[in-house]
Amino acid sequence: MPVLVNGILIALILVGLLILGASRMIRLVALQGALLSLMPLLITPHGLTWRVAALSLGSMILKGIVFPRLLFRAVKHAQVRRELQPYVGYSSSMVIGMATLAASFWLGGQLPLPGEAVSDLVLPAALFTILSGLFLVVARRKALTQVLGFLVLENGIFTFGVAVVGGIPFLIELGVLMDVFVAVFVMGIALQQINQAFEHIDADQMNSLKG
Amino acid sequence: MTVNSLQIPSLLLIPLVGAVVCLALASPGRILGWVIGIAAAYSIVAAAVAARVLSAGAVTSAGGWLRIDALSAYHLAVLSAVFLLSSVFARVYFQVEAERGEFPPARARQFGALWLGALGAITLVLVSNNLGFMWVGLEATTLTTAFLISLHRTPASLEAMWKYLVMCSVGVAFAFMGTLLVAASARGSAQDATDTLLWTSLIEHATSLSPAPVKAAFIFLLVGYGTKAGLAPLHSWLPDAHSQAPAPVSAMFSGFLLNAALYCILRYVPLVEAATGASGWAHTILMQFGVLSILVAAVFIVLQGDLKRLLAYHSVEHLGIISLGLGVGGIGTFAALFHVLNHSLCKTLGFFCAGRLGQIFGTHEMEKMSGTVRRAPVWGVGLFGSFLALIGMAPFSLFMSEFQILKGAMDRHFYISAGLFLLGATIVFTGALRHAISMAWGGNSTAPGEQKQGAWNNILVYGPLAVLLALGLWMPEPLRDWLDQAARLVEGVP
Repeated sequence: MPVLVNGILIALILVGLLILGASRMIRLVALQGALLSLMPLLITPHGLTWRVAALSLGSMILKGIVFPRLLFRAVKHAQVRRELQPYVGYSSSMVIGMATLAASFWLGGQLPLPGEAVSDLVLPAALFTILSGLFLVVARRKALTQVLGFLVLENGIFTFGVAVVGGIPFLIELGVLMDVFVAVFVMGIALQQINQAFEHIDADQMNSLKG
Repeated sequence: MTVNSLQIPSLLLIPLVGAVVCLALASPGRILGWVIGIAAAYSIVAAAVAARVLSAGAVTSAGGWLRIDALSAYHLAVLSAVFLLSSVFARVYFQVEAERGEFPPARARQFGALWLGALGAITLVLVSNNLGFMWVGLEATTLTTAFLISLHRTPASLEAMWKYLVMCSVGVAFAFMGTLLVAASARGSAQDATDTLLWTSLIEHATSLSPAPVKAAFIFLLVGYGTKAGLAPLHSWLPDAHSQAPAPVSAMFSGFLLNAALYCILRYVPLVEAATGASGWAHTILMQFGVLSILVAAVFIVLQGDLKRLLAYHSVEHLGIISLGLGVGGIGTFAALFHVLNHSLCKTLGFFCAGRLGQIFGTHEMEKMSGTVRRAPVWGVGLFGSFLALIGMAPFSLFMSEFQILKGAMDRHFYISAGLFLLGATIVFTGALRHAISMAWGGNSTAPGEQKQGAWNNILVYGPLAVLLALGLWMPEPLRDWLDQAARLVEGVP
C-alpha cells in the first residue's frame, strides 16, 4: 500500500512543520505520534500478525492519549502551556524547518541502504522529523517544549525503524516503547518538581551552574 | 536447569528484588544496611560468573540473548567493586545527614529503590548480547539515576537533573538510530531476521555488513553513547550532575556509569573495523574524541574552584585517556581496559573523600576547604592520595596504564596525539596538584578536627589506595590474562 504510506509520510512532514510554527504543541505532537503508529500496519512483510497489531495499538494509545494527558497534567498548575518568547521566532522556525526539509531530502539521497525502501519519502521524512525534534530541544525556552522536542525526535527514529529496518525483534520494540513511556513519565514528574521549586519551568532561567 | 544457568538471570533479579523490598522498609538505617547486603550478594554472584567465564569461556543464557564474555565479565567485576564500595560509603554519608534530620524515611526509600534499580539497568547493559537490549538498558540507567541527582530537590540539583535527563535522553536516542542503522546494514547479509542485532551473530558476519551504513551508524553511536560517557564536546551535563548529586551517587556515576556507556561503544568497535576492512577508521575517530576530551578537561581543571566539579572534569579527562588508548589499539587497548579499573577505583575514592569533607566544611569551594588533613585526617589524606593518583603520579597504577597508552601511541607513530596527550597531562598535573596541596595543608584554620574514626572509614579510604598502589607495582598474572582476553575481543582477534 505505497499510496497510503506516502500519504502518512507527507502528513508527518506537514505536521512537523506545523509543530515548528506553533506555540501550543502538545496536541500536534500527539497527532504526529498517532499517525506514525499506523505505519507498522501498512508495512508488514509477512502480512498482518497479532504482534504488529498489538505494537501499533500500544504505540497509538501511548503517543496519542497517555503522553498528552501526562504532559497536560504536569503543567496544569503552571501557566506555561504556551511558548511565548522562544529563542527563535515562529516564522524563522518555519523557514529553518523548510531548509531542514531540503537538507533531509539531500541527506536521504546520500545514505545508501541495502535492500528496497518502502518509499522514497521514508528516509527524508524520518531525518526531517529527527532534526526538527532536535531543533525544538535547542531553540525553545520552556522545559515542556524540550520534552515535546524529545518526543518528536523519538517519532522520527520510530519512522526510520519501522520503514527502513523492518525486522527488529518484537521484544526490543516493546522494550523501546517502554523506555520512551518511562522517559516521558520521569520528565513529567521532573517538570512538576521544577515547577514547585522555581515557580516557572523556563529552562533558560536554570542557569546557575557554569564552568 | 542447573545452578550455573541461573547465574546471569540472577544478576538481573537480585537488584530488582532488592529495589522492590526497599520500598517496604521503614527506617533509613535498615534501608542503607539492606542496600549493602544486596550489593554484597550481587558481588558474590558476579565474582562466581567471572571466574567461570575466565576458566571456561563465555556463558550464555536465555537463548543467546544474554551473554557474558571476558570483556563484559571484566566490566561486571569493576561494577561490583565500585557499587559495593559506594553502597558502604552511602551508609557512612547518609547517616550524617540522618543525624541532621535531612534524610527522612521517604527519601531513603527513594534512594534505595533507584540506587538498586540503576544497578539492575547497568547489569542489563553488560549482559545483553542483543545490541537493542543493551540500548534499552542504557536508557533505563538514565531514567533510574535522574532522581538520584536531585535527591534533595534543591533548585541547583533540579537544574542539573533536568540538563542530564534531556541531554542524555536525546543523546541516547541518537544511539538508537545508530543501532537501527547497524540492523539495516545487516539486511543484505545472509542472517536470520531474529538474530539481527545479536552481537555474536553480527561479529560472525561482520565482513559482509555494508560499509557505508555501518560508518554512519558508528557516528550516531559515538555521538549518542559518547554523550552519556561524557566525551568532550558532549560533556556539558557531566560537571553539573556530578557536583549536585549526593557524593555516593557521584561516585557511582563517575566510577561506573560513564564506563557503561563507553562499554557500548567498545562492543561496536570490532564490528565497524571488520566491516570497513580494518582500515583503522573507527580507531581514528576514537582517538580524536579522546585527545579533545583530555585538552578540554585540562583547561577546566586549571580554572576550577569547586572540588566536585574538579573531580568531574577529571572524569572527562580520564574517559578521554581511555578512548585515546582504544584508538591507539594493540597495547593501547590493553592499557585502556586496565585504566578503566584504575580510574574507577581512584575516582570512587575521590568522591568519597570530597563528599565527607564537603559535609565537614559545609561547602565544596576549594578556597574554603584548606587544611583538610588537619581537620579530618582520614578523608584529607584520602583526597590528597586520590589526586596524586589521578594526575598520574608514579607508582600508582594510573601512571602505569597512562604510560603504556603513551608508549603504544609512540610505537604506532601517532606522535601528534601522543604530544597533545602529554601536553594535557602536564597541564592537569600542575593545575590539580596546586589545588590538592592547598586543600591538604593550606590555611591556618584552628577549627576542631573530626573526632569520629570508624573502622569503615579507614577501609573505604586506605583499601582503594592500597590496591591502586599494589597494581602500580605489580600486576597479577590472572589479571593480565583477563585483560588480554578482553582486549582481544575489542581488537576483533579470535
